[in-house]
Amino acid sequence: MNAKIKLENHDAQEIKYTTCYMCACRCGIKVTLEDNKVRFIQGNRNHPTNRGVLCAKGSAGIMKQYSTAKLTQPLMRKPGTERGDGIYEPISWEQALDVLTDRLEEIRSTDPSKLGFFTGRDQMQALTGLWAQQFGTPNWSAHGGFCSVNMAAAGLYSIGFSFWEFGAPDWDYAKYFIMWGVAEDHSSNPIKIGLEQLKRRGGKFVTVNPVRTGYSAIADEWLPIKPGMDGLLAMSMVHVLLKHEQFDYEFLVRYTNASWLVVQTPGQVGDGLFLRDENNQPLIWDIEKEAFKNGMDGEIAPALFGEYVAPDGRRVKTVMSMMAERYLDERYAPENVALECGLPAESITRIALEMAHIAFKETIELPIEWTDVWGRKHDKVVGRPVAMYAMRGIAAHSNGFHACRAIHMIQMLLGALDAPGNFRARAPYPKPIPPHQLPENNIDIINAPNTPLSRPPLGFPTRPEDLVIDEFGNPLRIDKAYSWEVPIASHGLMHMVITNATNHDPYALDTLILFMANMAWNSTMNTANVQDMLRQKDEENFGEYKIPFLVVIDAFHSEMTNFADLILPDTTYLERHDCISLLDRPISEPDSAADAIRYPLIKLDRDVRPWQEVMVELASRLKFPAFTKPDGTRKYKDYPDFIVNYERSPGIGFLSGWRGVDGTKSLKGEPNPKQWEKYIENQSFHAHHWPDNQKYMRFANQDYLEVAADAGFVGKVEPIIMQFYSEPLQKFRLAGQGLYDGPQPNNQVDRERLVKYFDPLPMWYEPLEQQRVDKEKYPFFALTQRPMFMYHSWDSQNVWLRQIMAQNYMYMNARKAAEMGIKDFDWIWVESHNGKIRCQVKTMEGTQEDTIWTWNAIGKQKGAWGLKDNASEATKGFLLNHLISELLPEKSGERRVTNSDPVTGQAAWFDLRVRLWKAEPGEAGSWPQFDTLKALPGDERYERPDVLRYDARSHEKN
Amino acid sequence: MHPAFSVIFFTVASGAGFGLFSLLFIADVFKLGGGFEREQLIIGGLMAMALVVFGLLSSTFHLANPKNAWRAFSRFRTSWLSREGVFAVLFMPLALVYLASIWFDAPLWLRETSGFLTAVLAWITVFSTGMIYACLKTIRQWNTPLVPANYLALGYASGSLLLLLGAVVSGLDTTPYIAMSALILSIAAVLKAIYYFWISSPGLGPTINTATGLTRAKVKLLDTGHTHGTFLTQEFGFQIARQKAGLLKIVVFVLGFALPGLMLVWVFNQQGGQVAAIVAVITGIVGAAVERWLFFAEARHVVNLYHGAQRC
Amino acid sequence: MRLGLVIDLDVCVGCHACAIACKEWNASGTTGPLSDYQPYGAEPSGVWFNRIRHYEMDEYPNNKTVNFPMSCNHCEDAECVTVCPTGASYKRAEDGIVLVDQDKCMGCNYCSWACPYGARELDRSSGTMKKCTLCVDRIYDMELPVEERQPSCVLTCPAHARMFGDFDDPDSAVSRTVRERGGFGLMPELNYNPTNQYLPPRSKPVIPIEAHPRGGLKESIKQFANKLVRR
Repeated sequence: MNAKIKLENHDAQEIKYTTCYMCACRCGIKVTLEDNKVRFIQGNRNHPTNRGVLCAKGSAGIMKQYSTAKLTQPLMRKPGTERGDGIYEPISWEQALDVLTDRLEEIRSTDPSKLGFFTGRDQMQALTGLWAQQFGTPNWSAHGGFCSVNMAAAGLYSIGFSFWEFGAPDWDYAKYFIMWGVAEDHSSNPIKIGLEQLKRRGGKFVTVNPVRTGYSAIADEWLPIKPGMDGLLAMSMVHVLLKHEQFDYEFLVRYTNASWLVVQTPGQVGDGLFLRDENNQPLIWDIEKEAFKNGMDGEIAPALFGEYVAPDGRRVKTVMSMMAERYLDERYAPENVALECGLPAESITRIALEMAHIAFKETIELPIEWTDVWGRKHDKVVGRPVAMYAMRGIAAHSNGFHACRAIHMIQMLLGALDAPGNFRARAPYPKPIPPHQLPENNIDIINAPNTPLSRPPLGFPTRPEDLVIDEFGNPLRIDKAYSWEVPIASHGLMHMVITNATNHDPYALDTLILFMANMAWNSTMNTANVQDMLRQKDEENFGEYKIPFLVVIDAFHSEMTNFADLILPDTTYLERHDCISLLDRPISEPDSAADAIRYPLIKLDRDVRPWQEVMVELASRLKFPAFTKPDGTRKYKDYPDFIVNYERSPGIGFLSGWRGVDGTKSLKGEPNPKQWEKYIENQSFHAHHWPDNQKYMRFANQDYLEVAADAGFVGKVEPIIMQFYSEPLQKFRLAGQGLYDGPQPNNQVDRERLVKYFDPLPMWYEPLEQQRVDKEKYPFFALTQRPMFMYHSWDSQNVWLRQIMAQNYMYMNARKAAEMGIKDFDWIWVESHNGKIRCQVKTMEGTQEDTIWTWNAIGKQKGAWGLKDNASEATKGFLLNHLISELLPEKSGERRVTNSDPVTGQAAWFDLRVRLWKAEPGEAGSWPQFDTLKALPGDERYERPDVLRYDARSHEKN
Repeated sequence: MHPAFSVIFFTVASGAGFGLFSLLFIADVFKLGGGFEREQLIIGGLMAMALVVFGLLSSTFHLANPKNAWRAFSRFRTSWLSREGVFAVLFMPLALVYLASIWFDAPLWLRETSGFLTAVLAWITVFSTGMIYACLKTIRQWNTPLVPANYLALGYASGSLLLLLGAVVSGLDTTPYIAMSALILSIAAVLKAIYYFWISSPGLGPTINTATGLTRAKVKLLDTGHTHGTFLTQEFGFQIARQKAGLLKIVVFVLGFALPGLMLVWVFNQQGGQVAAIVAVITGIVGAAVERWLFFAEARHVVNLYHGAQRC
Repeated sequence: MRLGLVIDLDVCVGCHACAIACKEWNASGTTGPLSDYQPYGAEPSGVWFNRIRHYEMDEYPNNKTVNFPMSCNHCEDAECVTVCPTGASYKRAEDGIVLVDQDKCMGCNYCSWACPYGARELDRSSGTMKKCTLCVDRIYDMELPVEERQPSCVLTCPAHARMFGDFDDPDSAVSRTVRERGGFGLMPELNYNPTNQYLPPRSKPVIPIEAHPRGGLKESIKQFANKLVRR
């Protein structure tokens, strides 16, 4: 006889919609609650990001909410104990805020640059950036410098939008998709949804990746490239496309600078810049009118190829001619790059031609009428359905900026951007190339006490004058972003902050605030040494720590909190208000501009506060102008009040939905006091769906650009001409050559780097670290990726996720391992120029032969993350980070230089070379090991039973 | 398969008990070696029942939720485990009737009928025990008629050695008992040898290819999806090294068959008498226990294919 | 009815979303809680109904990684039910779902021995055998929106690699897909007649190419002629 199945008692339950925060995808979630406990988290079917699905992390959010690593109260390092000992005393929020306010007031009224404020995986950079700007410190950035600034900068200096959040493949129409170096830990749900859509429709999926797991598992073709060679591969594909004359002539003429004329006066000031008219407009050669014409105009018929003599007698050449000369060179022939890339020449040629076939023989035409920015009507939209996507495998190399530019070069040649089946922009992108936002670099403003910066600390330099340096060329930022060392460091260099601040290079900090960033463990390069730096004292300064005061804001007991002088405990994402703003890292999709909120679903059960509330509080106490009324009283009651009422410019605020006094306006409108309620009513997100005529070709789409200008996405309605050839890069190169009419570097190292790496056309060079280490001695490339079910979520403390993986292994190619006499589960030593680690091996087929890799951030320090001391994450798990240096290997006669992309400052943590050997018998367990973190006050509330039986329902069982 | 002590003890003890009881009945009917006295029969029968009861009790130790053990009789129609339980429980009253009929000098028809039925039930119960394993298509090493045959042969071999000890202690003519033991031990040894031969070649069973349906190329496990053990690895993951298994097989034959056989010769030659019989019982039962341990240890459940085994 | 799942190995990226969604729903579901052992300790493990394994086919560089989710196959000839001595395991006549009555199970593990697919896991705390219920407490819950009356694994799968439906109905989406894509059951030689079906990885699409290379460098550049294209 069948047992009776008991169904849920829905009357006892409540359903609320909010936004996930287990990673950076920010999917919509539908949360079922019962008695203040989470019963079920599922995807929100109506949400543009995830359309109902949800990944493993999202569902495991329950176990994050009930994590025993949650901080419970503000803590102060116990007087008399040393930093890193992890001995703390509870203090009240009032005390904590007083201590911090006093300290910050002092800094702000003397030397605001003495405050560093760096944030990790936060999703509110619009607020943190505003806060730093109002404080008056240039020393602010988020974690983009070690995440993906190479991709962002390459895109924003080439096509006006970029991989990651500023664009997405058009899964509805793409027929051919190449994924470049996308680890399986990236853009969780959207890529999975898309890949299935693509394959279901019969599209081909090619993956370029040294490792075949995750997304790459389901690729139709796997190109196991050697790490760091992607740019070379892309340029070889460009070679093939040019050689077979497979490029979109019309697209190049209309929407790119391929026809712009470049001055050819080597060795002279002005060489390599565009030929411009008296209005500073770039010129082309019009073959109809046989005259030089404005390259921004609509009524032109430009020559794509050719050399001409300018009216002033200088020789000029089209960008396209320069490209043909460079990339048709036999250097880039598939057979000549095959060995370096580790791929058959045949594959390179074939894939380039397959793309060309799809682009030009399987074109999509949608009957959508649209008007271009020059006012001409089109009766259809033409799509060349080749889509691409790229991520960390491109970004985390010191040649990644150019590699990514090379990929955009393929897209431009194929005319495969922002049309059906392409990589398409997500609002507020595309933007002018580069976006019209310069980093604050006025030294007087930066040094002025109690004065906000006039511009945000981060931006997009276009020439040496935009650098953030003093009159002697010294960096004004603690991370040396926008200095001659890394001129286009648009996301800052968070990975250099602790090193530079410890070395007082370029100067000393007083207080460092780190929010949600595990810089003492898995989010830093060179972990063991960084921990030592945090402990380091300054003998000249009365034994103060080199970084005198360290404030850490986190929700969990991470390895980083252990070094804090002051710990401010944050809430979980289910306990607070949040907004995912179009001013920030948007959740827009190609077909809609979107933003979202979170609001508290669960009552707080401990003495913690959302960091955004604390920031608003501090801003009010410190009387930041934007947070203070003219009469000196605070302007915003709290964070929700701030979000609703703050306007960046009239009508433009953090949230784009239900604006206007009556809540009827979208994208722009007066503040609406009921805005939060409207969002909550509407499942916590807002999507502005683009009408068909505004969906495509937005870089030159009149109707779209008008809306975009009105909403503040772009300054004004003007064509966004894509840049094969980047003039800003050439200006920096000229400065390196001593041919620039403006600031020039006085250091030989900087000059060489500018000359070598600031090529205005995409180039490839051997990754910097690899130029300096002995490749015979260190024969392997070493990489990491996060497993899909832990991406961005740091969640080895999550009791469900850690059952899937509680230890990481070093993976290597099975044949290679066999040759070396290494078997599964052997313990091995892995050594780089920076140090060595011991770890356990697993062999596999799907790893390029010269590459080894592991799962990142599985290894934990003993006692961290609410785990017991014997957790296998700590005893057997390991970090590769110890092997990676934040500085390049020393070179005689040269100052120590950051191990980063020389253009953007992107941390080059994929450039690592290592050697490995089998450990002696009896050598087991991971190494190095660290002291056990001590339990924090408040930890006694957690039981950590040997058997956990989570059940959200108050149902009577049996 | 994980060799659980409770199950090993259960099958060895209850097998010996059932074997002893059945053979006791035969010895009683045919008055072998002069026949046991009434008290001796009762003691022997109770000892056999005790072995069965201890075995059954021990088997409940491996139940995670023994309060529902009583339900185990409900699926007699399909489950060999249920059948075994039912037969084992039916055996008890019948065995008591038989012993009572001996004790109270009941009419011969009652004594012989109840004894015969008890013996048959004992046989069926041991057969059912064997079938618990033999019916599983998931374990190649078990899915063979040799398994119930082995269970029966070993149960009766252990029983016969116990009976021989009884005969020696009781001062009966041991020749028929030696003959019986020798015969059963020989059969058991031969069956065991055939079994070991049989399971040594994998045959055409499931492979990692059929388990995954990926039949066109070599398939290897990359990751099980859990770092540490699960119920499945704990229950089915046990694996014994081939060399160790070979060694244990020698132990099975030496302890389980050769030494008891040798002891039979000693008993026959009147050398040592009781001691030799005791040694025979002990070695025989230890041998059976080793055999039983190996029976589990060598069994490879097909779920191991999903954990990377190429075949089971 | 014969309810079950179709799992598409061609698109499963191995993200474990289905496994966690399953754990999440069922932890508080009809046979919950599902115990977690050593949740903070050395070797965490627990009771799961759905596990994802990862395999590699063939050898480098021709290898392919295949992600492989597995849960109860709700077999037509469910030996786990046949061997259960207590009657706790049963297969529902109306829809073929195989369930374990937690009130009857004595925790003998025998059903798990009979299952070739590793679908059953003992919960040591309750002492009972637990397994995939096909979310029987979702799919018949008329208070849920109709599109949500699906097993939680199917509901959540980001790659839409899982389908749920009635295999008795030849016109159902699952039946059609299995026919069209050559779906198969696992270990057919054991004759358990598993209801769940797996769709094989497809072979890669062939794309024609047009190769018309130009000659050497100088020649190529010279040959490029300007066309009259107006912006």
